[in-house]
Amino acid sequence: MYTCGIDIGSVSTEALILDIDDKKNYKILSYTVNKTGSDSKTAAEDTFNIALQKAKLNKNEINSIVATGYGRVNVAFAKKNITEITCHASGVTLLFPDVITIIDIGGQDSKVIKIDKVSKKPIDFLMNDKCAAGTGRFLEVMAKTLEIDLENFGEIFLNTKNKVDITSTCTVFAESEIVSLIGHGVAKEKIIKGLIYSIADRIISMVSRVGLEAPVCLTGGVAKNSGISNAIEEKLGVKLKIPFEPQITGALGAAYLASNY
Amino acid sequence: MSILSVKTKITKNIQNNLNSGSIKRLLRIISSKPVLALYVSSIKSITDRYLNIYTIRYMNEVYSGKYPVAYGSLFLPYELINGLNLKPFLPEVMGGFTAGLGVTDKTLKTASNKWYSSDLCTFHRSAAGACEMDLFPKPSFIFCSNLACDAAGKSFLNFAKKYDIEDRYYLIDVPHENDNESINFLSQQLEHIFYDVSKKLNKKPDLEKLRQSINHSNNFRKFALEANEIRRNLFDYPQYFNGLNYILPFFGLCGTEETVNLFKIMKNELRDKLLKQDKNKKMKKVLWMHLKPYYKNEIFNILEKNNCRVVFEETSFIFWDELNPDKPFESLAKKMLSNPLRGNGGNRIKAMQYLSDYYDIDGVIMFSHWGCRQSNGLSRLVKESFNSKGIPVLVLDGDCVDINNCPAGQIKTRVEGFAEILNSI
Repeated sequence: MYTCGIDIGSVSTEALILDIDDKKNYKILSYTVNKTGSDSKTAAEDTFNIALQKAKLNKNEINSIVATGYGRVNVAFAKKNITEITCHASGVTLLFPDVITIIDIGGQDSKVIKIDKVSKKPIDFLMNDKCAAGTGRFLEVMAKTLEIDLENFGEIFLNTKNKVDITSTCTVFAESEIVSLIGHGVAKEKIIKGLIYSIADRIISMVSRVGLEAPVCLTGGVAKNSGISNAIEEKLGVKLKIPFEPQITGALGAAYLASNY
Repeated sequence: MSILSVKTKITKNIQNNLNSGSIKRLLRIISSKPVLALYVSSIKSITDRYLNIYTIRYMNEVYSGKYPVAYGSLFLPYELINGLNLKPFLPEVMGGFTAGLGVTDKTLKTASNKWYSSDLCTFHRSAAGACEMDLFPKPSFIFCSNLACDAAGKSFLNFAKKYDIEDRYYLIDVPHENDNESINFLSQQLEHIFYDVSKKLNKKPDLEKLRQSINHSNNFRKFALEANEIRRNLFDYPQYFNGLNYILPFFGLCGTEETVNLFKIMKNELRDKLLKQDKNKKMKKVLWMHLKPYYKNEIFNILEKNNCRVVFEETSFIFWDELNPDKPFESLAKKMLSNPLRGNGGNRIKAMQYLSDYYDIDGVIMFSHWGCRQSNGLSRLVKESFNSKGIPVLVLDGDCVDINNCPAGQIKTRVEGFAEILNSI
């Protein structure tokens, strides 16, 4: 059967189509990552259509669709809504069956999920507070303030020896702090290193609350930033497992779970 | 006119004319028999219907100006206050009411303008704003204790100053230990209050009335225990039934005949539901800790839709022994000291473990209300104690009163995620 998972996040929407048999053997036929924009309903439809085109299938051939992510309720054509907690857990365990701790850093939220070793199902989770600190959005705002492309943050992090501490967790205050540091002549590279460590610190605090147990997987758009993954690895003292496309684990889990409905 | 339009009209009226005069007028109108009958006509649960009738009539009395009103914090021996013929008015509970009525934007703003810190619990902050706006009836006495919530003793002093009744402000000091010395220390304070208040009311101390109040409390306790026993196996509750809606009668109106009647009705309605319940019906059993949001929210619907049911609430726990009407002060002191919220938190964890065993709980939701340090400080130990038994715990950060401090989407994901975990076990 063909199934589809659609993960509507605050910044990006992903759709993934699976060919899955009765024994749960599966093959990823296509996936796509799109911007959510202001209309999550349209984003879901558009992303689904692109995934269909890539898989060379039409809508009627998809047997079951599960929607996840904050916009999951807006996908009227989905058979079922399942939270991103369960879907990420499912997607990650398909890719890395031994993973116990998942760190997902998305556009506007970050979460840590603990997986049961035996059942491979989530047993605990923690999500960030009601603000953008420690998320992709925080990094985007800082990159804009520094006038440096976010994609370069990883390389800058690795090539910069020293950092300055960024003490503000609030995105707005951190922006002011950075402007002030630039005004005082602090090198932008040191600021970037400090910013990345500040995000890593927030994530480590969440991991500690749930309880660190390796292996650990990092997912979400921010996982593509090697600066962040390096900083987290350094602070945790654990090598992170990162999926080939860190943004599609939620959609993968949703598509896999869709075979149950 | 339909019930919904009556309710909407009342709420809109309060929102648009937020002053004590309009509240008084509205309460007078709703309390009249025909309007009250219409107001409760669509409430399917007879317990909820009685709760609404009782609460509206009670509030009408409190606002009527005919009776001496006593402000009180939540964990007081209200048998004593009702036994003194005072009308209890619980500002913290009213803080919850402001949320239900959708007026917290005004009350919280007023509190903020009057220097109430934004990290003060919103039950207190909204109540303080409402008091500053003269929305509350004028108190004759103010009572608070340091049991569990230390904030009441401080924030209620503002009310005493506002109404110039500092000589009628009583702060009950509840010891952390539960021993004979503590019982004596506390019962002496309660006895002193009884005689001192009687004197200030220019009335002869009426011990018979106090004994009557104690007897009512014992009868309420008996029915509540029976209702709680029924809940061990009950999933099919009356529509909208939620134990967290009974805070006012359970605490503030303890010692009145109406609370006895209410819990008798509840026991009977729940028993009938249990008898008619499909024997094969099974849901995941959730224990709820702390309070809930009192503005419109979807938490309990989400749980229900996901095959989970809150089968018991921390606030519905009958933790005290039967009271001795011949030793009212000692009995009430013992009741206060047996409250699991007394002390360092260990008593609370023990009590929650007891409830978890008694109700065969699958999961625990601990609502972590913004600014409630007496509760939130314990969340880690609560989580560890249940996790060690394989019971998942969701510490749900939010706000019971301020809807703006509790984003619905984030709450939905957390609650649904938790329900998915419970259903996968």
